[in-house]
Amino acid sequence: MTAQKSFIRRRPLSSLGILILLVLLALIWTWRVQLQAFPTIISAYTAKEYCSCRYVMNNPVDYCQSYVKQWLPSTLTEGLSEKRITATGMGRESSAQWQGLRQGCRLVSPAS
Amino acid sequence: MSRLLFLLLLLTCSAGAQTWPDEQWPVHKLTPSPALKDLETYAFPPRDEQERKGVRTDALLIIRDGELVYERYAGVTTAQTPHLTWSISKSILATVLGVAFGEGRFKLADPVASFYAPFNAHPDIRVQDLLHWASGLDWQEDYEYAPLDSSVVAMLYTRGRTDMARFTAEHPVASAPGTSYRYSSGDSTVLAAALRGMVGEAAYADYPWTALFDPLGIKSAVWETDATGTFVGSSYAYMTARDLARIGLLMERRGQWQDRQLLPTQWVDFNLTPFKSQTPTSEAPGGHWWLNKTADGPGPWPDAPPDTFAGLGHWGQALYVIPSAGLVIVRYADDRDGTYDHDQLLKLTLKAVAGEGVK
Repeated sequence: MTAQKSFIRRRPLSSLGILILLVLLALIWTWRVQLQAFPTIISAYTAKEYCSCRYVMNNPVDYCQSYVKQWLPSTLTEGLSEKRITATGMGRESSAQWQGLRQGCRLVSPAS
Repeated sequence: MSRLLFLLLLLTCSAGAQTWPDEQWPVHKLTPSPALKDLETYAFPPRDEQERKGVRTDALLIIRDGELVYERYAGVTTAQTPHLTWSISKSILATVLGVAFGEGRFKLADPVASFYAPFNAHPDIRVQDLLHWASGLDWQEDYEYAPLDSSVVAMLYTRGRTDMARFTAEHPVASAPGTSYRYSSGDSTVLAAALRGMVGEAAYADYPWTALFDPLGIKSAVWETDATGTFVGSSYAYMTARDLARIGLLMERRGQWQDRQLLPTQWVDFNLTPFKSQTPTSEAPGGHWWLNKTADGPGPWPDAPPDTFAGLGHWGQALYVIPSAGLVIVRYADDRDGTYDHDQLLKLTLKAVAGEGVK
């Protein structure tokens, strides 16, 4: 107990640093599932909503590109023949595929 | 007896006098007026394509007494565009469920688990609780400001996307079912999954069409699914503004479509009865529709009659119905900020049609 106390007294800043690190690790652990999935949001949103904008709502390319534009950069690839959209963002890749006249578009595997 | 016959005759006549759309809506355009100009000035300001600020209406369509009296499109949207309805999908889903209810496929107090097995984990949640967005599940509905913690973003795009209803079922409980309103796209998605159990696997994929869209003459509808084939009942129904107005007219006329009672009036009454939540809310939820009255008093739109109700969606999508004024209003939009105001549009629309004299 006294040894611990003296360490905190001798190294107040380091102690604080360790405490912050522990709290941060605990937070990351608590949110690990959400954090793991989070970066996929941009590419998945872009691929899915662009696919629907083009093939369900039948809007022009230019319009759909600005329609899905986010505050984070992303790229889009359109496979015209198979109506498949691949998007990247935050280091992840997602694809959406047109399914049919009634079913519209849906995100497809490989899920990233 | 003769008095009764006369009354019957009168009722038949008034029913016969009702106008309904066939393939197309009957058109009877409003004559230009200053009030109509005010409405257009509000709904269609110069469109900001760069910053995407302000009111950005894609479509505005007004039906009065079954006739199309006003229609205008902007941007790339046309009369042929099956526009994304976002959360109006929830009210469309409720209307599909209304047909299933009329067929005796379920009762409001039935446990959801009878139709959807993963809800065995939540045996006390009833169908009506989901319809009131009062499942009590610990759901975070925030699209843009809490992306990490947002249940709806995770459901649509990441962790939940392959099986959205199951993702919802895996949420822990926050409050007792049926007590507290907590807006949840998860609740709506579970309803879409429960529909499969109600109507059976074979009928499910076509059910929204056979039950609702075909009888109403809706030809443009698209309803996207997750990887398990469950309709994304919360968010992903599309149709033209003219087709969405048909659902509005069905609701305006208490579930009647031409000579058929497609939805039981009991169902529509349930839709339009305010839900009394134990937690305070500024919104006025009914049974998967938004109302302009609460259990205790007035609703959120002071300039519209208390019988006004609506299906509402992200980025300004709206299907408003005002039975006392014989009005159905469809508004599609791409509003990226909070400038647009429901009450203002309703007020200006009521003024624009009032100038036309008696109905």
